[in-house]
Amino acid sequence: MPFDRIRLSSFRNLEDAEVLTQADRVFLIGENGQGKTNFLEALYYLSYGNSFRGSVDAEAPRRGSAAFSLLGEVRAPGSADMPHESIRVSYESRIKEIKRNEKPVRDRKELVELNPAVVFCHEDFSFAAGEPERRRFFFDQSAGLVSAAYIDNLREYKRILRQRNSALKETRHDLLPFLDMQIAGKGIELMDERSRLLAEFDGRFALSFEAVSLLGAEVRIRYRPSWPSDLGIEGILERLGSRRNEEFALGTSLSGPHRDRWNFTSEGTDFAATASTGQLRLLSLTLRMVQAEYYTTATGRLPVLLLDDVLLELDRGKRKRFLDLLPPSGQSFFTFLPGESWEDYQTGSTLVYEVRNGRFED
Amino acid sequence: MKALDELVGLLTRLPGIGRKSALRVAYYILKTDSSFSEALADRIRGLKGAICFCSSCGAYSESDPCPVCSSPSRDRAVICAVEQPQDVVTIEASREYRGLYHVLGGLISPLDGIGPEDLKIRELVGRAGNGEVTEVVVATNPTVEGDTTALYLKRLLESTGVAVTRLATGIPVGGDLEYADRLTLARSFRGRTKL
Ligand SMILES: [Zn+2]
Repeated sequence: MPFDRIRLSSFRNLEDAEVLTQADRVFLIGENGQGKTNFLEALYYLSYGNSFRGSVDAEAPRRGSAAFSLLGEVRAPGSADMPHESIRVSYESRIKEIKRNEKPVRDRKELVELNPAVVFCHEDFSFAAGEPERRRFFFDQSAGLVSAAYIDNLREYKRILRQRNSALKETRHDLLPFLDMQIAGKGIELMDERSRLLAEFDGRFALSFEAVSLLGAEVRIRYRPSWPSDLGIEGILERLGSRRNEEFALGTSLSGPHRDRWNFTSEGTDFAATASTGQLRLLSLTLRMVQAEYYTTATGRLPVLLLDDVLLELDRGKRKRFLDLLPPSGQSFFTFLPGESWEDYQTGSTLVYEVRNGRFED
Repeated sequence: MKALDELVGLLTRLPGIGRKSALRVAYYILKTDSSFSEALADRIRGLKGAICFCSSCGAYSESDPCPVCSSPSRDRAVICAVEQPQDVVTIEASREYRGLYHVLGGLISPLDGIGPEDLKIRELVGRAGNGEVTEVVVATNPTVEGDTTALYLKRLLESTGVAVTRLATGIPVGGDLEYADRLTLARSFRGRTKL
């Protein structure tokens, strides 16, 4: 849902202020370190209750302060006669509180269902070239955006995994058979859901990536579950049993969906191994593009897009093709450096702010 | 004010009570008639002496054995295994169940260092094998730990020849037995499934 107004208080380097954002596109223009990305981070907090930079809440209050507070007013498109919904995220004495319409949100899942944002940022580069864990994060997030049941399943799986690892560390031979049954059962559900996600993502991704990169080679997404998908529950139990001693020795679960791999392949080989930095950047941008598109297809709703300096990384041709292919959004926020030709990207309803020293100027 | 601060400090240790609520409670006690505060203090003091655990099933009771265990009208062929004593009160309120109970005193959780040996599982196996019992209903919550415990009990009780069933998951996922309403609980009991 688009943001109409953001109230900032003691957040990062941003000056306490009320920022009006009632527009289809909001441009934030400024040098690095002035607060553009911090503002996108504030919006992300209001969408998910945490940071996209992988930083902890305690780092978000302004220097010298131990608390921050953010208030966002959102309104569904085409419902101007409806009152705003408010989302408040506050942090004080190491306790974070999230409220929707002044009522406490007990589970961040509720926020995701209300107001998801899709962020395009530097950190996304690791989806293309980082640790496997980063790709799992991306695809888990994509599935969670459209299905609260997926979030539940993943949480439950992680809980079983922690219990199982603990049982391995304590060499509880008596409990492992039961935790095996649980992890295999929940694991199969996750693998099925991830396979379905792959089917939704793969074709769209290949098309979009080619359309922007003009590479001339098809890049596909490959999902390789840690347990072969045709193994079945009995097969998984057998496999877990056969590595029992090894797992006891290391005190950790060596196989399962927490070790699933996602890769990108071109003509059968690993794309990341041979791709240029520019191609990898474009790949991570395309993933976000498809994430937004998938969200809309699956839910019929439009996400808010947060684009942090991403156009800068693309040459003119790619930039244009990227913007042309950008899926429809409820609202989008772009950051630019002062020298960039942001005027070219303005549409009918665009708000432009200059950001200097944490202050927003029209 | 030391007396007030100390009371507030103790009250905030109660479940579900934060500092704000503790202050409100403390001021209320300060303001209200002293007969109220005396009655309250008296009941708190007397609670542990008045209520004990049933030595047979582990439920809270004013007598030992508890009214359920000593009632001639209860079905002695069925035992319902629950996590904690207050679960017995919840299930009794649904009036759907006519058998006996067994309080496990927790759930298996390696993360918390709780294994079967820390729970009243040996006692349950003993009761289930007395020749009279034909079914054990496992009524643990549908959480990871509740599932582990149920699977463990099933394996262990298989050898005694009794049927092991689990409450149908009419209880909302992540929801506690404690909060399940009477109707849901009743439906759960009728729809219990063989593990
Ligand atoms: Zn009893």
